[in-house]
Amino acid sequence: MTKVASLDARTNQILRLQVIWRVVFAVLAAAGTLAPWIGWVTLASNWQKILVSALLLVATLASLIGARQLTRRSHAGRLVSLTLDYLAFVTCAVITLNTGEIFIGIDALGETFGRGLPYLGIAIAGYFLGAIEDYYPQRNLSVTTSLKTVSRWIILGGFVLFLWQVGAVNGLLYFLGKLAQPKGFVAVAGILVFGFSLWSMMRPEVAQALNAKTNHEQIINGWLFLSPNLLGFLIFFAGPLILSFYFSFTDSDAFNPPNWVGFDNYARILNVRFAWLSTPDQLARDVVDIKVYDEVGRLTLGNGGLLFAAADKFFWLALRNTLTFVLFAVPFSVIPALLLSNVLNSKLPGMKFFRAVYFMPSIAAVVGISLVWQWLYNATIGYINYFITLGIEFWNNLFNLAVVDPKIQWVSDEKTALFAVIIIAAWQSMGFNTVLFLAGLQNIPGELYEAATVDGAGSWAKFWGITLPMLAPTTFYVVSTTTIQAMQVFEQVFILMNPPEGPNNSTITLVLYLYRSGFQNFKQGYASAIAWVLFIVIFGLTLVQFQRQRRSSIYEG
Amino acid sequence: MKKSFIFKMLSLFMVASFALAACGGGAVTEAPAQTEAPAMTEAPAVTEAPATEAPSTEEVALRWRTRPDNQEEIDVYSQISTELDAQLDGITLTYEPGGTEGANYQDQLRSEVAAGTAPDVFWIPGTDVADFATRGLILNISDLAAQTEGFNVGDFYPGPMYHLTYNPETDASGADSGALWGLPRDVSTFALYLNLDLINEAGAPDPRELAKEGKWDWNAFLDVAQKTRALGSDIYGYGASAWWGPYGVWLNASGGGFFTADRKACALNTPESLQGLDFQRSLYQDYDVATPYGEDPEPPFRAGKVAMFQNGRWATPGVRTVDFNWDVVELPNGPKGTPGNWLFWGAYVINAKTAHPEEAWKLVQALTTAQTQGEVAALGANIPSRVSQEALDAFLTFTPPANNQAFLNGIADAAAPTAEGPLWAGSWPEFDKIMGPAIQGVLTGATTVDAFGTTICDEANKVFNQ
Repeated sequence: MTKVASLDARTNQILRLQVIWRVVFAVLAAAGTLAPWIGWVTLASNWQKILVSALLLVATLASLIGARQLTRRSHAGRLVSLTLDYLAFVTCAVITLNTGEIFIGIDALGETFGRGLPYLGIAIAGYFLGAIEDYYPQRNLSVTTSLKTVSRWIILGGFVLFLWQVGAVNGLLYFLGKLAQPKGFVAVAGILVFGFSLWSMMRPEVAQALNAKTNHEQIINGWLFLSPNLLGFLIFFAGPLILSFYFSFTDSDAFNPPNWVGFDNYARILNVRFAWLSTPDQLARDVVDIKVYDEVGRLTLGNGGLLFAAADKFFWLALRNTLTFVLFAVPFSVIPALLLSNVLNSKLPGMKFFRAVYFMPSIAAVVGISLVWQWLYNATIGYINYFITLGIEFWNNLFNLAVVDPKIQWVSDEKTALFAVIIIAAWQSMGFNTVLFLAGLQNIPGELYEAATVDGAGSWAKFWGITLPMLAPTTFYVVSTTTIQAMQVFEQVFILMNPPEGPNNSTITLVLYLYRSGFQNFKQGYASAIAWVLFIVIFGLTLVQFQRQRRSSIYEG
Repeated sequence: MKKSFIFKMLSLFMVASFALAACGGGAVTEAPAQTEAPAMTEAPAVTEAPATEAPSTEEVALRWRTRPDNQEEIDVYSQISTELDAQLDGITLTYEPGGTEGANYQDQLRSEVAAGTAPDVFWIPGTDVADFATRGLILNISDLAAQTEGFNVGDFYPGPMYHLTYNPETDASGADSGALWGLPRDVSTFALYLNLDLINEAGAPDPRELAKEGKWDWNAFLDVAQKTRALGSDIYGYGASAWWGPYGVWLNASGGGFFTADRKACALNTPESLQGLDFQRSLYQDYDVATPYGEDPEPPFRAGKVAMFQNGRWATPGVRTVDFNWDVVELPNGPKGTPGNWLFWGAYVINAKTAHPEEAWKLVQALTTAQTQGEVAALGANIPSRVSQEALDAFLTFTPPANNQAFLNGIADAAAPTAEGPLWAGSWPEFDKIMGPAIQGVLTGATTVDAFGTTICDEANKVFNQ
């Protein structure tokens, strides 16, 4: 009874401290809200000030609400406290690591950690030596004891050598040295304070005092496990996504504070003109304001024509090339994959080997693949043209023909350059699509084929009447993801083509163009706007695919 | 339970080891000088060097980077870094080779500059100097240079120094302009790498002899190209890469060029420029002596299928591995009596956010001494950027090629080379992106020279003062 009473007293004390802590937290967060605006903290631009202030304002209000709920002994107060303290704890931990230059050092991790790996191997060998007893029990007890002792010393020695080799002692001293500054002290203090607060609120007595139920604990644990991924998503995906949306309305060059330009970037992208031409070769400057517009293309109509001009012709060329790429690359990587998966789905010997072979291009590095294809495509000494020449010579000699060797300039002719990229992309993604189709095929009930066989259906009828409809969900997934990937084509073009835009801009794609705008021409704001237009195009295409799928799907529940 | 505890401890140990190993790397190789980006403020158009700091007895760690072309260059630069580390009191150096097949050197550097993690000293090509300078990304070191005893901008080739001392606020250039953006690492120029076996087999005259006799002009060049092309359908007389350097020389040689004299407008449509472009077009379209435009000509040259391969000094290490007789000759003279060659260069510049500008300036000077440049030039990839007979004499000894003099002739005053340079009044990358495809259209036969001349400057002039 006395023990329970003392526990209650301690719990009450913790709760009172928590209420005070929540108020202190709110005051500190409120001060932080004002800090960027009164010069306590220097931030580069207004958007950073607004973002920091908004977050801290939310934290202030949440902390005050938490304090109020705790005084009412409501479990909501505990949830608010845990959330705020957890986020603050993680923030302080990241600041501590950053102050200690852990993240900069990560660049050198491969070298330093690599130096120690052999010694880690010694430690592992020591562990296995000790584990011999578990698998091969010794009759002689002294041998067993000796093995265990030797094993421990080897493990210890291996770890010590490992730590020495990776520079752990130097690293620790360096880390502590870097922390010896106000920012480091504050961050470490934050870890301790927020950590203690978290620990106290996680105590079962406190949870019980705040009427926590079993599902509350499950919810907390669920969010805790989810938090690394969720925080990563928010910081490294959602955050930059929102930021790029903001940048798309600015003239950001990534180096200096951006200026708000409203819809100017979007207006420039979408600023186009169509003009009638009195003759097919009439100059663009005669029909549009050439100081604003550049010719993108023209259509000959009888004795005249139609001119398409744009303020940013590269965007429209990139859009044209990207859509052309999608138009060819998607069928070329989906249809062969569908046929191949049917072949590989058979029970012939060696099929597993071929499944692995066809999948290999999907896991190979794009840079390496593109460089190999660059050599293959070389018009003068490349293997592709070499074999074409051999083939033509063979047929000419065999049948006394005079077929002319085309000597295709795969990557240097604007008529073939994009096609060359399409071939690589289709070849590379076909293996992965094949695996997806294979998975889909193996889910089709065998009874359907048996029934069809009984009904006298042939192979083609079964493929057309059973396989294709039953594969519809898989096909939809494959087509959708391949289309999205194709819309974002970049690496193959960037590595294969020199320059990446290809002959007469024939391989400039939207992602390549936004990369060029953002990282080569210092136009991060404009590049962000291109990215959002690309997003809208991809979103629109995917939406259309979804709607068509809904209409045509007859096998979904 | 015990095993679970051991596993937990081991996991914790491994994570801690990772963290400490990360710091260990920093501690062993010395932390970068710039550990975090200073808060950004309104960047002035021209960033002045910070006021001189009080002398410090602490060791200053500097990171520096230059673009190597191969592992041999990485090794040489690493060696140079080690030597300078020992020479420069109070400065510890870390050399970082930049750029990979998948990450372009300049793009990677720009990203790091934006993130505030770029090295203290880095190399940039001459065409990028204006972009970096006007955006306040590199230091104006004219004040530091003025305080440096014995420093003289006249020690370097005037072409690069014109741009490196250009003051965009006053349009002035030279030692007294009040601007100095860096010092040139090296210079280079084009020559024709000759497959002597092919030329002999074709019975064509030796271009080196023609050059000595003063008869090496466009007609003589075409004659050699046609004779060697006649050796077989897979043998080419001439090959050049598809970028502004190779096609620019033909425009320069006929008296034209990319820009007007003040570099503030497009000059691609002048009759002289079009004449040069038309001659180059004829090599591809009329005479069919050149490897297809846009295809990399180096592999076929190294395979012994190209008689004359236009490239810079940087191609020499690769060409040294071929198994046929080869040498170099200067580019042929054009209608104006000069070959129209380029004086290529790149510069070591100082990061505007470096915490140690004075030490960085010492490093830039050390990297551009005759001795350092000689070590790099010994590889055969570069020509020293100092105007010094001693440096030039040393360069001549770095054979093969036997006719090293061809490169020096290319940058001699008599050849009137055009210095590669940025556009202070516009965007060079954007100009290049407009010019390149348009020229390619002409050289591949998709566009006529007349059509090119009629429209090119309408578009290209938009990049000035954007």
